[in-house]
Amino acid sequence: MLNYLEILDRANTGPYLTEENWDLEKVAMTTKRLVRKYKLEWNPNEIVTDDPALSEAIWKAGYELAVTLGAYSRSTERIIEISQDEIDNGIRTAPQAVVMGEGKDARTLYARHLDDERAPLFFGGSPGTPIPERIFQANVMSYMQEPLIDLATCGTLVEVDGREVRTGNPIEIVSTRRELQYMRQGLKRVGRAGMGMLAAQSSVSELGDLAAAHPDYLRPCDSHLVPVLNELKMDHRNISRAVNSLEYGMVNASLACVIVGGLGGGPAGSAVVNVASYLIANITCLADYHILHPIHVRHIATSTRDVLWVINATGQAFARHAPHIIVADIYPKSGAGTKELLYETAANAIVNAVSGSHLEGVGAADGNAPNCSGLEARLMAEVALATHRMKMSRKDANAFVLQLLPKYEHVFTQDGNPGQSFDQVYDTVKVKPLDFWQKMYEEVKTELQEMGLKL
Amino acid sequence: MADQEYFQAIADAVVDGDTEQAVDAVLAALNAGLDPLQILNVGLMSGAEEVGQRFERGEYFLPELMMTGRALKAAMEIVKPALLEKYSDGDSQVKGRVVAATVQTDIHDIGKNIVASMMTAAGFEVTDMGVDVPIKSIIDKAEEIGAQIISLSALLTTSMPFMKDLIDLLVARGIRSKYVVLVGGASVTEDWARAIGADGTARNAAEAVKLARTKMNA
Repeated sequence: MLNYLEILDRANTGPYLTEENWDLEKVAMTTKRLVRKYKLEWNPNEIVTDDPALSEAIWKAGYELAVTLGAYSRSTERIIEISQDEIDNGIRTAPQAVVMGEGKDARTLYARHLDDERAPLFFGGSPGTPIPERIFQANVMSYMQEPLIDLATCGTLVEVDGREVRTGNPIEIVSTRRELQYMRQGLKRVGRAGMGMLAAQSSVSELGDLAAAHPDYLRPCDSHLVPVLNELKMDHRNISRAVNSLEYGMVNASLACVIVGGLGGGPAGSAVVNVASYLIANITCLADYHILHPIHVRHIATSTRDVLWVINATGQAFARHAPHIIVADIYPKSGAGTKELLYETAANAIVNAVSGSHLEGVGAADGNAPNCSGLEARLMAEVALATHRMKMSRKDANAFVLQLLPKYEHVFTQDGNPGQSFDQVYDTVKVKPLDFWQKMYEEVKTELQEMGLKL
Repeated sequence: MADQEYFQAIADAVVDGDTEQAVDAVLAALNAGLDPLQILNVGLMSGAEEVGQRFERGEYFLPELMMTGRALKAAMEIVKPALLEKYSDGDSQVKGRVVAATVQTDIHDIGKNIVASMMTAAGFEVTDMGVDVPIKSIIDKAEEIGAQIISLSALLTTSMPFMKDLIDLLVARGIRSKYVVLVGGASVTEDWARAIGADGTARNAAEAVKLARTKMNA
């Protein structure tokens, strides 16, 4: 196992390169070459692929990209060189099972294989979404109380005690600890005090993250994010998160939000960059598991055809060739109180379930507004479990998703579809969906059943 | 070789993001005695507009935009002296000077890069300060280069308040009226931009360029 201090040394002494040249000459050009070399293409009508040769090519290209480039330190403008042996060792030692939470609420996240007999697990919450303090407690409880939800996550507190939170400001410490207080309190109130969390979402810089590493806030059985910056980059601030958990022992979740249409180019190149990001994150983030969250360069959402394809391709590349623990975020364009949110969630859930990922969500309305609730997370879990129970083939999954796309794709050509705030779709005292939202959910569920999903 | 062929060669080089070719094509056009203003508008800008359209249609991606930005920057280095020589107001052919930055504490750069590339492609002279830039440094740079536009980006909701801080600092220094301040980012809305006293926001890079043009012509 590579001593982590060695990573810091390499960030300080590796070859110098401007960031622009890393982006263009290294990431963009190498990815473009690999896409050509491995003849990688995507088909907008084949969102869920079932092509072992394509999957192998994506895996090989991603592996070659990681071995060729290593990572880049934005803080020192130097390349963090990583050898092929180290990449291989990262793959060999990638955790295959991680216990999260404690007592009766503990769950074991595991590396899913393709067509795994075991059901996927579900993180409930709207990760990173800005949530006002007045509705934060009720909002997180709306997910925690859902019986199918295994693990908890949450949005970001954007104010505490009426004061605006600013990243890197001392108030970030207050907001992150306050978030964790609401989370722990919420878990107790729904009777699931031991449930594991992916939290400290209010910690945008390292400040909050470091301040929350305490058994009263984030326990060692919980997880926090260690991001890989776009693309294949780290910086000292984020490396600090990994260093801090070396001794404290929190579970590290790498987060690579590869931009589809960004430096990797189109969907094929983006999948290659995503594969490489995890291979790098095994080492630079000390990742115990990986969050799969590609972002569309214009639409943000994970429910566009091309982003769904990238999720499918990345998930399968690992599930077929080197299973890692992967948790796919669901970030639809639409917000709570709209049917489109439920269709987008269903499409994402099916793709994730058949591609070797666990699921996390739902970051409704692009995670831009507090327009999210536990109800769509319930549907996420129901749809994924039905897909799993039915042993849905990837061919059938593709056909199903192609039927769902026309029901929501119009939201990408209009001015968003943000829906309504949590307190406009839920009774925030009883933490129950309002009648219109419940009815909408039931109508969509019936529709999905009529389409053949055994919910 | 007809004039149009020179312009087409320049535009093609820009569309291909080929810096060397763009420089060669511009030099060839200048050596042939073509008007530098037409080289700028008919050659370079038409190529840049094509790149912008291809990006909007999803045919081009970020690397192509960045390569085009590089090619344009190199080509402009050659065209600009010729413009200054031929036109006494040659400097004004540049549509405006822009300082672009992702504000302090935010390290997300893709949106800012796209806007900066498209503004460069549209003829603005863009100084890209990168990410996590202290607001004081942004103002100092704007003063130093005589910028007309300050273009700010923030993806993080908790970094957005620093945009307001920058505007407040401009007011405190008594130089607010010197600058058009444009703000952008996933969570930035028109209402919010108005509330903090910004001069505008746009939903995407193409609209940001239109907005910048409008503000410069206002």
